[in-house]
Amino acid sequence: MKTMSKLILGLLSVTVIFTGCNEAPQAKQKETLKASITEESLGLRKTGLYAEDDTSATKTEYRAAAPGSSTRLKRAFQDAPPMIPHSLEGLVPIKIDNNQCLGCHMPNMAKLVGSTPIPKSHFTNFRPSTHIIDGEVVKSGVVLNNTSTKDLQDVSIVRQGELVGARFNCTQCHAPQSQGNLAVENSFEADYTQKNGASRSSWSGVKLMEGIDTSKAGN
Amino acid sequence: MSLSRREFLKSSAAASAAATMGMAVPAELEAAASKAEKEWRWDKAACRFCGTGCGIMMATKNGKIVAVKGDPAAPVNRGLNCIKGYFNAKIMYGADRLTQPLLRVGSDGKFDKHGKFVAISWKRAFDEMEIHIKKALKHAGPEGVGVFASGQYTVMEGYAAQKMMKGGFRSNAIDPNARHCMASAVVGFYQTFGIDEPSGCYDDIELTDTIVSWGSNMAEMHPILWSRVTDRKLSDPKRVKVINMSTYTHRTSDLADIEIIFSPNTDLALWNYIAREIVYNNPESIDWDFVKKHIVFAASPVNIGYGMRRDNEKSIKGGKYTDLEMETVSQEMKHTVSAKEAPALKPYGYKEGDVMVNKPAGLKHWEIDFAEYKKFLDPYTLDYVANISKGDPDEDINEYKKKLKELADLYIEKGRKVVSFWTMGMNQHTRGTWVNTLAYNVHFLLNKQAKPGYGAFSLTGQPSACGTAREVGTFCHRLPADMMVKNPKHRKIVENRWKIPEGTLNPVGNQHIMKIHRDIEDGVIKFAWVNVCNPYQDTASATHWIKAAREMDNFIVTSDGYPGISAKVSDLILPSAMIYEKWGAYGNAERRTQHWRQQVIPVGDSMSDTWQWVELSKRFTVGDVWGAQALRGKNKDGSKKSLPDVRKKAYAMGYNDDTTMYEILFANKEAKSYKIDMNAFPQKGFDNSECNGDSRNVVGSEGTVFTGYGFMIHEYLFEEYASFGRGHAHDLADFTTYHRVRGLKWPVVDGKETQWRFNSMYDPYAAKETKKSGNSHAFYGGLAKALTQGDLMGIKDKKKKGLKNKAKIFARPYMDPPEMPDKKYDTWLCTGRVLEHWHSGTMTMRVPELYRAVPEALCYMHPADAKAKDLKQGALCWVESRRGKVKARVETRGRNRTPKGLVFVPWFDEKIFINKVCADYTCPQSKQTDFKKCAVRIYPA
Repeated sequence: MKTMSKLILGLLSVTVIFTGCNEAPQAKQKETLKASITEESLGLRKTGLYAEDDTSATKTEYRAAAPGSSTRLKRAFQDAPPMIPHSLEGLVPIKIDNNQCLGCHMPNMAKLVGSTPIPKSHFTNFRPSTHIIDGEVVKSGVVLNNTSTKDLQDVSIVRQGELVGARFNCTQCHAPQSQGNLAVENSFEADYTQKNGASRSSWSGVKLMEGIDTSKAGN
Repeated sequence: MSLSRREFLKSSAAASAAATMGMAVPAELEAAASKAEKEWRWDKAACRFCGTGCGIMMATKNGKIVAVKGDPAAPVNRGLNCIKGYFNAKIMYGADRLTQPLLRVGSDGKFDKHGKFVAISWKRAFDEMEIHIKKALKHAGPEGVGVFASGQYTVMEGYAAQKMMKGGFRSNAIDPNARHCMASAVVGFYQTFGIDEPSGCYDDIELTDTIVSWGSNMAEMHPILWSRVTDRKLSDPKRVKVINMSTYTHRTSDLADIEIIFSPNTDLALWNYIAREIVYNNPESIDWDFVKKHIVFAASPVNIGYGMRRDNEKSIKGGKYTDLEMETVSQEMKHTVSAKEAPALKPYGYKEGDVMVNKPAGLKHWEIDFAEYKKFLDPYTLDYVANISKGDPDEDINEYKKKLKELADLYIEKGRKVVSFWTMGMNQHTRGTWVNTLAYNVHFLLNKQAKPGYGAFSLTGQPSACGTAREVGTFCHRLPADMMVKNPKHRKIVENRWKIPEGTLNPVGNQHIMKIHRDIEDGVIKFAWVNVCNPYQDTASATHWIKAAREMDNFIVTSDGYPGISAKVSDLILPSAMIYEKWGAYGNAERRTQHWRQQVIPVGDSMSDTWQWVELSKRFTVGDVWGAQALRGKNKDGSKKSLPDVRKKAYAMGYNDDTTMYEILFANKEAKSYKIDMNAFPQKGFDNSECNGDSRNVVGSEGTVFTGYGFMIHEYLFEEYASFGRGHAHDLADFTTYHRVRGLKWPVVDGKETQWRFNSMYDPYAAKETKKSGNSHAFYGGLAKALTQGDLMGIKDKKKKGLKNKAKIFARPYMDPPEMPDKKYDTWLCTGRVLEHWHSGTMTMRVPELYRAVPEALCYMHPADAKAKDLKQGALCWVESRRGKVKARVETRGRNRTPKGLVFVPWFDEKIFINKVCADYTCPQSKQTDFKKCAVRIYPA
């Protein structure tokens, strides 16, 4: 089975993961015309579509390390949400009155216990306050024609002392990671622009605003 | 309940006191790029995944995507994405991207249904498609050519597909996977309001006091909306109440004040219980002024079946269904009234044990008076409803009753703003249309609909189910902007706009997505094309459709970025450009249209679905498709149904037999007026593979390098489509405007979006209608706005009465689903999604972080059930129904915590092919499949 899937990768000329991504895609196609590709070799399920007896899922193998004893996982790209390197046993579900993640990851505590600190982004509220006043929709005290405006008048930034409520559900962005082989490789290449970009957020309010005026993007 | 200016100043003073540092915005807007990111190009785009419709900021460098961040300017999500949103960065880079067309061939190199795949040229691919489409047209006319369409099409792709199918092939057999996801909501909208899509918007979340989630795990399926709910809850924990209505405990329960676990299908009874509480026990809470001005009451037949095959259909007569399967299918013809549903059906003249003979009833309904509606509500006492709906056998009935009462009280409480959200629990339902309409009943009686902070709001599942599937009209029965194929006036409008002869469009539109599968199984459809969806993984009773595709004489084509189950089943696989490899637009659940530009050049030889449709149109001429065409069935006078020969009319329009559909539908004079201008916004600096070709020099459908259409086809398709809705309550802004903003909510009139539909203060169409009356609302949708009169039992006066600007409250009873647990199949099975994966997982299973987060579909079950069935946590079990079985690992401690007697298995995993187990019964009105309930047995594997 393994040889088969390697063969297919070659046939489909997805050479990027092996030879780098700048190679002209046409280069290898001519060689592939004679080869035959089986239905079973395609996709994630390598067994026949009727063969349930022979088909089993990949077993989930999350890390067993307790919080504090695990090694950080590399971030997928600059400022990507970090994945969880430790066991979540007993830490979830997150309840409205009980979010155990905060116990170790709030910035002050993180310093003491050496955990990944929650970055500034999570203490910055970008949602304009919304009210109806005399029937009009008022956003951050201003009446706008639309919820999104060409001159970005609708954009709002408020730093606050506590975690922004919208970021309370940690598992919405951060997940534990099963070990073992991937189903399929991925040729995405990160371009870390900051020192320690693979392990640290470089996030600040200014950074998130970079490039936000997309009318200038094509220049 | 709006604030006065004084109150506002007070509350905003409190808000700024809470903020340690408030910042003026403009100072940060012009932030210069840091040195390190100077080579990055940031641009805005829409997220590829759910119906929330978040904005993302995407960075590219050297033609590859390098990062994604939340977009602070995107009103939907304001700087935050969910895990899938961030990993849009990686979805196009899975190692097994399809890069060339693949065809099944025999040893002679010719097409062979039983052959293996070989890479072929685009030219050969279109040659094969042309041959097999012509064969299918000859065999069964336009009804023999089908398309599995998508709620994930861009607006332009959906429009191009619909134009070629309906205008070119004259086939209405194009229906999206959105049928499986939103159809019940749509029919609910049509029947209630006369026009599609929600009246409210996401700002309701910040403005409301109460969020009730019905059959919707928002925390996982609409995570960003849930983050807004969470923020609202945390901002005022005492006042804001969150209630989760579900058949099992999940992450949405974790933040809820009240969780109500109900038995599958009894949401019908729960809505009617709340309505009864209003009408019988709190009549003073009814806003009679609102109701009298804006509402009529209505009823419809109850013996309508369950959308399954009927016993006169070819594959049933031909024995393709086993005896076990027929135990369920037989309910379609006859159903014995159960003790559970008998009280609810008493006002309709049924009692326990009666045999209900089911008949297709279509969408028929009629007006009744309030007294009749009140009589209908009578059975839904707290005792009856609590008894049939309590979903957790371990819960105390009195505790449960207390919660139901609290729920009703929250809806009824004067001055309390309430938003009801729902998704697949209410849509994927054999009475999905009914339960959707029941939601509006409660909000209408209390005058808590279509106002800021108030309303029943159907959340869309897919990123452009509203924008493409519904507004563009890529359903078998629809045309753009809420027009219908069966309406001669609508067909004429479309024929004129498309510059095609009068009489070209086919008035028969009944090949919905299940019908397309069934027509393939019956041997009617011989050519089917899969676009931006995965129907061979996502359809219930899956084994039937796979067998029909693989073992019968037909030709199945799948266009996709990756080889999913549908590609494996196909005869021809086409490599599609993925979302950020093309220009596009999506329309989300709050009616927000969002555009993006092509960020990178597609992988391999892949090309967009728009390109594939336009190239196909070059292969068909007036002579090929516009002669007389045969249809199924007979007219009233006994003659065979057919479509007229419109070629003479075509000649009169300046076309001849050799004029191609490409020239008529896509590269016409109007299209060519949309110019390429690489020196101006928004085209400047961005690739445009369809219009200009690109650096890959892909050898196209004609065997030569494709160098582009030479006009701005994306803008043309968008503007032509938009022209249907302008002035008709579906107004869109112009193409360039959308590239300057983070989306606008239609209707967009005089540059201003609409926040709350039907409300005269916010909706210019409602304002126009209420100018004279001064009414607060106008439910101005035009569909089914004249009704006959009757009572619960039927029509008594056939004369139709108009109900201009009014909406409807429907009497619709609790009924059992067609399959329920019994001795042999003793457990409910519910399917659905998980946060980290999208639909069938073709994209997300190829993103390492998402794959590792949830690498397998688990069978979530109650620990006591596991013990009783001799299953340990992590052990493999069989999940088996009358239709098939799959093997999955038992999870008793996971994020989904089921009551005894119910299991949940998600459907993203090709290896846990749960749709083999599910049944293809549908809501008979909306034709949407019920994936949320069937009966299974669980045993060790």
